[in-house]
Amino acid sequence: MSTPTLERERAKPGAPPPAPGSWWSRHQREAAPYAFISPFFVLFGLFMAVPILVGLYLSCTEWAGLGTPKWVGLRNYTDLLTDASFWTSMGNTALYVVFTLLVVVPAALLIAQALNARGLRGRDVFRLAFFMPVVISPIVITLVFGLFFDTEFGIVNGALKAVFGFGGIDWTGDPTWAKVAVVVLVLWRWTGYLTVFFLAGLQNVPRELYEAAAIDGAGPVRRFTDVTLPALKPVTAFVAVTVLVSTAQIFEEPFLLTRGGPGEATLSVAMFVYRAGFERQQLGYAAAAGVVLFIVVVSVGLLANRLLGVGRDHR
Amino acid sequence: MNAARNPFTRRALLRGALGAAAVGALGACGSRSTTPITSGAVDLRIWTHDPGYVTAFTRAAGDPAITSGSAFTFQPRTTSVAPGDIVTRVIAQAVADGNTPDLAGVVIDQFPRVMGSAIAENLFVDLTDTVAPMGDDLLKLAPYSVGGKPYGLDSDNSITVLYYRQDVLAEHGVPEDVATWEELAEHGERLARDKQVSLGMVSVGDNGAIVNGFTQMLLQRGGRVFDESGALVLDSPEAVEVLEFLARGVKSGFLLALPDPYGSACAAALKSGRLAATAMPNWYNAYGLQANVPDQKGRWRMRTLPRFAGGGHLATTLGGTAFTVVKDKPATQAALEFLRRVYLTRDGQVLRYHAGGYLPTLRPLYRDPELLAVQDDYLGGQRVFDVYSAAADDLPLFHQAAGMQVLAAVLGGPVLDALRGRTSPRAAIQAGIAAYRQQAKR
Repeated sequence: MSTPTLERERAKPGAPPPAPGSWWSRHQREAAPYAFISPFFVLFGLFMAVPILVGLYLSCTEWAGLGTPKWVGLRNYTDLLTDASFWTSMGNTALYVVFTLLVVVPAALLIAQALNARGLRGRDVFRLAFFMPVVISPIVITLVFGLFFDTEFGIVNGALKAVFGFGGIDWTGDPTWAKVAVVVLVLWRWTGYLTVFFLAGLQNVPRELYEAAAIDGAGPVRRFTDVTLPALKPVTAFVAVTVLVSTAQIFEEPFLLTRGGPGEATLSVAMFVYRAGFERQQLGYAAAAGVVLFIVVVSVGLLANRLLGVGRDHR
Repeated sequence: MNAARNPFTRRALLRGALGAAAVGALGACGSRSTTPITSGAVDLRIWTHDPGYVTAFTRAAGDPAITSGSAFTFQPRTTSVAPGDIVTRVIAQAVADGNTPDLAGVVIDQFPRVMGSAIAENLFVDLTDTVAPMGDDLLKLAPYSVGGKPYGLDSDNSITVLYYRQDVLAEHGVPEDVATWEELAEHGERLARDKQVSLGMVSVGDNGAIVNGFTQMLLQRGGRVFDESGALVLDSPEAVEVLEFLARGVKSGFLLALPDPYGSACAAALKSGRLAATAMPNWYNAYGLQANVPDQKGRWRMRTLPRFAGGGHLATTLGGTAFTVVKDKPATQAALEFLRRVYLTRDGQVLRYHAGGYLPTLRPLYRDPELLAVQDDYLGGQRVFDVYSAAADDLPLFHQAAGMQVLAAVLGGPVLDALRGRTSPRAAIQAGIAAYRQQAKR
């Protein structure tokens, strides 16, 4: 095998620098690390940076998918500002985010706390049961929840009627109840998934802390607020930011259950983008909405990151 | 190892491999051959969502009555693609100069996506000359026409009929031959009140289903959504009247509000006997009734729709899938000829009916003795073409426009509000029109 320049230099310390050769032979030492890490950046560029830049360009064009995009400057963005559907979708998405943060995350924490209890029998079965919704096929979810929430034949209305004597709620046809149906689906689908994160965090909280608190006279609630919550702060912050970012892009739940309806009562921003791009062939407009969503998600994500201190050492 | 002695170093091999890959990649970026195939065996790439079309095209390719005399030997190569994805993928492949199909089955509610920005004109073959010999015998060209030129041939006339449970109607004293919707509604209100049985359904699920259900009845009443130029003509007394009729029906229970005509709630309604009649297209026999309530075989019958007292047509239509020929491909000529032979000949239309139950789109076929003799076992051995032929004589024209998808999105909510009694039908129509005008201006 021919000896590389690098090895020759190592073999003769203090030797005079090699005669000027090719650019590579002169800069090999400095360039080699970059060459090793370059695959990531090449892929990042191809599959992240380029699409983002193309998306930015498309957002300033009018394009139906075929032919040459027509440059329209910022018109798509100004149209978005006056598009009632877009603002409806923004409002709906904000509602989903707030609900997830205020209901789903605490629910996941409480379930994790329950699953972490000492002496709990069938812990693995419970874990499996709570995690199951994440891996169930969306097709099955559509069919099952469609029947659950049906006004005439739905199980939910049937149960309400049997227990409380009323049950005529138009779950997917009434604008308000349709939102409730979507958030119930979000709750069912994602609580168990988040529970796994909290459970992992809880298992790392030293038992001695609880024992010390108990000796000091702290009851279960006090132990939860004074030991569990502070110990779980890093996990909670991570979960909150992750949930915020992913819920801001919510698509499947409203798409599966209501298709954004009735009217646009459950339309999310991601669905708005999909509808403009793949139902109306308004690819430039869809790109503009996507850019706005991207900016909002990144901004809110960074803000939450800073406020919650994700990744900082809390000790 | 000495590089001077062995030219096949790892570095040399790596360079060679990279070079070969680059050549391959560049070659793949190049334009494909568009030299037309003029005879002989030809592979036809067909994209469709419905296995029934696969059966129909495969049988047709092997049927001498359809292929004899052709310079081509047709070899269908079908790919199953979801209805909503076909247009998306055809456009994407066309942009990438990739593997577009030769024949693409476009579902009727997806066709408006190619009606704007000259997409249909750039992607598909103009079928004006192909259909010209058919004259007025070819039904249902309008929904797939852009600027007066047809770009797709529908596979099915999708004639809406009234399916009904003969035993239930007899038991409750409802005549099978009621003349008008209003008369049927009177019986329906009585049945809903006394027996919890409905004689029809309306979709209250997604916007598309809601608007489709409304449009179906509007067309029968003589109203239209778009005219032939693509202008919205929904602001009509017929539209308000139909929506009032549907809303009254939902309120009284004559019409059952269901998310969609195929889902689990509808299946429950059919199984429990809550739904004893429904106005749906011909394909609902197989996909709705037989799929959900096979045990009710022999109890269902069908008839032409009751008329509206205020006028309109005897029949209406809902749904459909048109096959388009992708232009400027080597097999374009062969695909066009294959489509013509399967869709515009007597033998092709009969074969398609037997293969997948697709109703003929050529008017003379509704008098064809072979089809007139067809009996449907599920419908108690009824001669179905007695009904279809009467309906085909009085089918309304249905035009689409590029803004159809926008209309479905903005009209669904107001129509649902009217059906649920949250707003008046007139206000709902006006709200839908206003929202359409605001959004479709883009």
